[in-house]
Amino acid sequence: MSEQRRIGVYICHCGGNISDFVDVAAVRDAVGDEADVVVAETALFACSDGTQKDMEQAIRDQNLDGLVVASCSPKLHLFTFRGVARRAGLNPFEYSHVNVREQDSWAHGDDTAAATEKAISLVRAGIARTRLSEPLDVLTVETTPKALVIGAGIAGLRAAIGLADVGLGVYLIEREAELGGWVGTLGAMFPADRDGREMIASLVAEVRKRPSIIVLTRAELISKSGSFGNYVAEIRVRTDGEAGQVIRAEVGSIIVATGTDSYQPEAGEFGYGIDGVLTLPEFTRLVDSAEGPLTRNGRPVRTIAYIYCVGNRQPGGNEYCSKFCCTAAVHDSVKVSRLDPSVHQYHLHRDIRTYGKYELLYTESRERGSVYLKFADDAPPSVALGPDGRLTVTTTDTLTPGAELAIPADLVVLVTGMVARQNDALKSILKVPVGSDGFFNEIHPKLRPVETMVDGVLVAGACQGPKTSAEAVASGLTAVTQTAAILKKGVAELDPLVAAVDPAACTWCGVCAQTCPYEAIASVAADGKQIAVISATTCKGCGGCAPLCPADAIDLRGYTDAQITSMIDGMAREPVG
Amino acid sequence: MSTSSSETAAARAADYDVLVIGGGIGGMESSLKLGDMGYQVLMVDKESSVGGRMILLSKVFPTLDCASCISGPKMTSAVHHPNVEPMLYSEVQGIRRLPGGRFRATIRKKASFVDNAACTGCQDCEPVCTVGVPDNFNADLVARRAVYLPFPQAVPKKVVIERLGTSPCTDTCPAGIKAHGYVSLIRSGKYEEAFQLVADATPLVGSLGRACYAPCETDCTRGELEAAIPIRRLKRFIAERHYQGADGPGVAVAEPNGRTVAVVGSGPAGLTAAWKLARAGYRVTVYEKEDQPGGFLRHAIPEYRLPGAVVDADIANLTAIGVDIRTGVTVTDLEALKAQGYDAVLLATGTPRSTRLGVPGEDLPGVVSGLEFLRDVRLGAGASLAGKRVVVVGGGNVAMDAARTARRLGAEQTLVAYRRGREEMPAHLAEIADAEREGVLFRFLVAPTAVTGDAAGNVTALRLATMRLGEPDASGRRRPEPIPGGEFTLEADLVIAAVGMSPEPATFETVAAADRGGRIEVDPKTTQSEVGYLFAAGDVVSGASDIAQAVGLGQRSAFMIDRWLTGQPMTGFAALDDRLGVVDKASVLARQREFGHRDPVVPDSRYSAEPADFAEIEPPMTEAEALMAAGSCLDCGVCSECGQCVAACPAGAINLNAKDEFVEVEVGAVVVSTGFRLFAADAKPQYGFGRYPNVITGMQMDRLVAPTRPFNTVLRPGDGKVPERIAYVSCTGSRDKQVGNPLCSKICCMYSVKQNQLIMGALPLADVTMHYMDIRAAGKRYDEFYEQAKSMGATYIKGRVAEIREKENGDLILRYEDVENGGQITEAEYDLVVLAVGIQPNRDVDRLFEGERLAQDEYFYVAEPDADLDPGQTSIPGVFVAGTAAGAKDIVDSILHAGAAAAQTAAHLERAAHQERPGHQERPGQHAAITAEVPA
Repeated sequence: MSEQRRIGVYICHCGGNISDFVDVAAVRDAVGDEADVVVAETALFACSDGTQKDMEQAIRDQNLDGLVVASCSPKLHLFTFRGVARRAGLNPFEYSHVNVREQDSWAHGDDTAAATEKAISLVRAGIARTRLSEPLDVLTVETTPKALVIGAGIAGLRAAIGLADVGLGVYLIEREAELGGWVGTLGAMFPADRDGREMIASLVAEVRKRPSIIVLTRAELISKSGSFGNYVAEIRVRTDGEAGQVIRAEVGSIIVATGTDSYQPEAGEFGYGIDGVLTLPEFTRLVDSAEGPLTRNGRPVRTIAYIYCVGNRQPGGNEYCSKFCCTAAVHDSVKVSRLDPSVHQYHLHRDIRTYGKYELLYTESRERGSVYLKFADDAPPSVALGPDGRLTVTTTDTLTPGAELAIPADLVVLVTGMVARQNDALKSILKVPVGSDGFFNEIHPKLRPVETMVDGVLVAGACQGPKTSAEAVASGLTAVTQTAAILKKGVAELDPLVAAVDPAACTWCGVCAQTCPYEAIASVAADGKQIAVISATTCKGCGGCAPLCPADAIDLRGYTDAQITSMIDGMAREPVG
Repeated sequence: MSTSSSETAAARAADYDVLVIGGGIGGMESSLKLGDMGYQVLMVDKESSVGGRMILLSKVFPTLDCASCISGPKMTSAVHHPNVEPMLYSEVQGIRRLPGGRFRATIRKKASFVDNAACTGCQDCEPVCTVGVPDNFNADLVARRAVYLPFPQAVPKKVVIERLGTSPCTDTCPAGIKAHGYVSLIRSGKYEEAFQLVADATPLVGSLGRACYAPCETDCTRGELEAAIPIRRLKRFIAERHYQGADGPGVAVAEPNGRTVAVVGSGPAGLTAAWKLARAGYRVTVYEKEDQPGGFLRHAIPEYRLPGAVVDADIANLTAIGVDIRTGVTVTDLEALKAQGYDAVLLATGTPRSTRLGVPGEDLPGVVSGLEFLRDVRLGAGASLAGKRVVVVGGGNVAMDAARTARRLGAEQTLVAYRRGREEMPAHLAEIADAEREGVLFRFLVAPTAVTGDAAGNVTALRLATMRLGEPDASGRRRPEPIPGGEFTLEADLVIAAVGMSPEPATFETVAAADRGGRIEVDPKTTQSEVGYLFAAGDVVSGASDIAQAVGLGQRSAFMIDRWLTGQPMTGFAALDDRLGVVDKASVLARQREFGHRDPVVPDSRYSAEPADFAEIEPPMTEAEALMAAGSCLDCGVCSECGQCVAACPAGAINLNAKDEFVEVEVGAVVVSTGFRLFAADAKPQYGFGRYPNVITGMQMDRLVAPTRPFNTVLRPGDGKVPERIAYVSCTGSRDKQVGNPLCSKICCMYSVKQNQLIMGALPLADVTMHYMDIRAAGKRYDEFYEQAKSMGATYIKGRVAEIREKENGDLILRYEDVENGGQITEAEYDLVVLAVGIQPNRDVDRLFEGERLAQDEYFYVAEPDADLDPGQTSIPGVFVAGTAAGAKDIVDSILHAGAAAAQTAAHLERAAHQERPGHQERPGQHAAITAEVPA
């Protein structure tokens, strides 16, 4: 393209995140002389209101027709700077985001000269892309004012009620025959001793009152098609003795609230398998079902030892903390003490994490006589069956150095945490990424805490990571808020950065359709031949099809072959000078 | 300018669906989401920028994103969202639930004294501001100005001026002089600007600097500590600097407006009025019956207090700007004067008449009035009193001046005879004390009954009655009554009668009435007489007062004459008196735990028990003394009204006369998002915060490592040293029944761990140790974050710190129980200690709701009656709570909680809309496509 462009380039310090390792002034100087660059500036925080205003001013005053900001990941601020362009009257797709933080300064903190060179190359690539950018219009689609909630645990139930209450239709599907999930199995829960079963019953009653909630139990999602705002979900409902029925639901968004599993210790792990060694859920059920002092095999339980962090905070294993288990175990000890204040309870822990107001339970537990002993991370307790047939827990208390304590116990409670559900079928249908801990990943814990990389698919509750019941409810309601924020408008805007077929070049070999993970490509007859056509609303712009097309008939808007080539050329040039 | 009547009424603003109180992360999140859903949101925050506390943080755990990167764009969105109206620097005063479930809220929009439409955020005002206060946005680590942008990323980027009220010195000044203003200008070395600030009010800068009785000093808050700031002498200092160097007053004078004013009398009231009018463009002629102008300044106040040269210099200010002063002219006919072509006449003839003793022998030649005596001496007609016995009758300032003057003329004995006691003397305390120092004797509770003379007419004695104090009289003072049989005789050669002064009604009686005291009757607010053209100012209106009061009345007259002659209504008093209401001294003193001692700057005055001449007693201040004295100012009202910002603002955006506004809004729901308070670390005295400079809080450390940090590195405040051994003390103010907070604050462990990592990045050689009780890394990726800090080299020691002691070099010794090593009591030494302070409830909403109480939990957080299933729902239907107002939360949890509150709010609004329009069915048949429902 020979016509002159007028491009503004901003290099962000990110308050030191970038400028501590990249000489941002050098980057600005190096790209300031590039052809078509009219403005080259640095900014302490490009995303700050003041700098955004400066950019808008420059776009107007200097008649800029392209904007490049070199800053953080586009996951944070792509939309921020597109907004700058839009407010200043520049087509937002004339904006190119260059990541010199996650992909440069944070990765190359040990070599600032090279990090600076890399930044120059990356910014040059961004400029090259912008030179060839074209104005694009966002795709606007009408949205369906309904949501699908997967999982009718406490988060899903509460979310369904919340959705109905803001005027959205709801499909609430539950894999099991009963609604309620984990909480539906529990008695008095921390912190307020509310009965889990009763809470679930009250939520189910509320659900029943709302005609706009359709409840499907023994139901599973078997496919998802369409795109954000207009998904089509197929749900199989199992019925006894039959193959079941498939229901097709049109929804604008999907809230995943599939919950969590409890860690199941391996045989022998802290004595698991020996009679009297229980996991936290097993013990909680025992306490909840007791009507008087605890007994085990007909004998009164006099001594209980709790071993914390079983299945959590284990290097090489589940490294995360499940955050609820300390408080749950502490609360159980209070419940035991209420049943029989004379029971001896020993808590072998690695720090008690009864955060916030839960601290009051920890205090109450100690006041009721529970003894808390800290063991070292590298010296966990062991559990064995003594010659007298009693369980013995052996530990080294850090407060009594050198002394190994042997605690005879009637019950040993392994305070087990949460683990992500192995739900591979659902994961492959939703295509929501999971983290190294196996839980669903949100886009950003603070910016977009319940959204996922798949537009219109949200996560709520403990499927996203360990949560208490109340936290799961709060995140369920936040998913309601986010759903309402996108569906109450009635229309959704989709990125136009999607693949498009050149009908003249296409010979319909079908390679593109086979590779498309979103089933966005179909063949149609046109001008006497079959050609590929790509649904702009279904295409996610992943670009998988474009390089495979033998006829070079597919281009990705915003990332055309010409743009990619020029970006490589830009990067390949000598970095300085 | 507006009148006060409309200023207090709340204007009715538009109605909104939701009122969100608080623009921190929780409030912004709720507002943005509700706005996205299409609801109209009013978001109120008491600060001038949205962002709350989060924007002040360095990076945030566990992602280590910059707080700015997360919060900044949310701030921009919140302020620019089409459905969110920000109302900043505003406070919700009260909320009432209306029948039907909606709410009416009254909001005070605090005056920022800056026009937001004009302010560009250039901050040119900040460097010229003469007041520095602790920068609360930098956790008090550094200072900011009284005019300030809260922080560089503020949204919107508008400065505000912090004015807590009018400082007591300025508030009490009858002359309307910005006392705090010129003190702060002097402190900044801006002596000429200080002179100009005073000269804006009156030309008599030098005279007031010598002879004002300085009520400012009486009211000075510093007086509650060591001693008041010598404000009067500071004024003298700037006058002397100016008169030594400057050529003319250097003030701005308006173009002549063609109107003329005659001023009768050249005392402080007349001269001040003439000055104000002349500068406004009037042609002013001053008539003075004496041969020299100045009135009492020149003819009553003795030379040793106010040298004639100083009066000359002050009066030269007037002549320099063209005021025509005609001396030796006695005006007897005001109507005739007016007829000479003046548009208005100001009478400022003071109180030339002396009150008579009313006793036999009063007319003997050896009896003179105080005024007459003083005037003669000033005019050089004072004869030697060597060997004479002088009795001065009276207890006022004239009596003191006369007595001290008599001492200077060589009187063998000078005695003041006063009919009440010492405590009742109307003279200024300093004058009484000075008279005593100079050998003046006092007889209290005595009143003259007769003067006796010899055949030649010389006074020989004064006959006095002994008095006692009876019932209070009209003035509130106890009336003296003679004790029967208590008369006695005092030998005397000269009797000076200084028992009162009054105006001379003959001057004005033909055109205006006089009251019983001989004072002209004018409208006290406008100073205008019934004859429209005639105004009056000074003692002729008030009776005998003092210079500052006369100056104040002169200003008032000039202001009203200008309004009258320009056809404006005779109002506008708010512009004449722009005081905000005086700052409470107790609140000023409560700002700091303790104040450093400042030696008072006292003059080395040349007192003598045998004063021999009329040389000025009080020496001038040196520059060093002036800076020391002005530097002790406590900046009571914060802004000193020095006016530097007004002059510096290129946009003309600053208006110091702005007033608070009140608006009323009706809303469908309320979201309380008022956040938290950080634990005040000095409430844990064993950790030494506030006493040991190198003990800081977690918030202060966050500022030290923030991208917008106050210094370029992490340093310890005590001596600026870069610390090598840094300790964290967790659970400061949390999990601690001693301070009344048994709760865990949840955030402190993680922000400490975050800071541990940031410090190790910033200071690779530093050792970082955290003394903790339990590391509560409870949250997604939090424990991994903690493990990362350990792997980077941070040390974690379990055990509560019992106390911190400071070594002489500022290093700190921590005493703690080493739980993981057998619980030994151990001590460790560090360069810098960071207290990981917890959070406490913000009590801002305690009394927000009228007629009903927003329930709180037992720890005073906003209660959520069903936190398990209805997070965000409070005890009042339609009122929701978002974020830390309901309890300790980190940012992630606050955002989720705010999201939940938004869902609850939306549900409430939908229900309310449904009840309002019962026919409005929700999209019937919407779900008809579903045929299969399987019962649970």
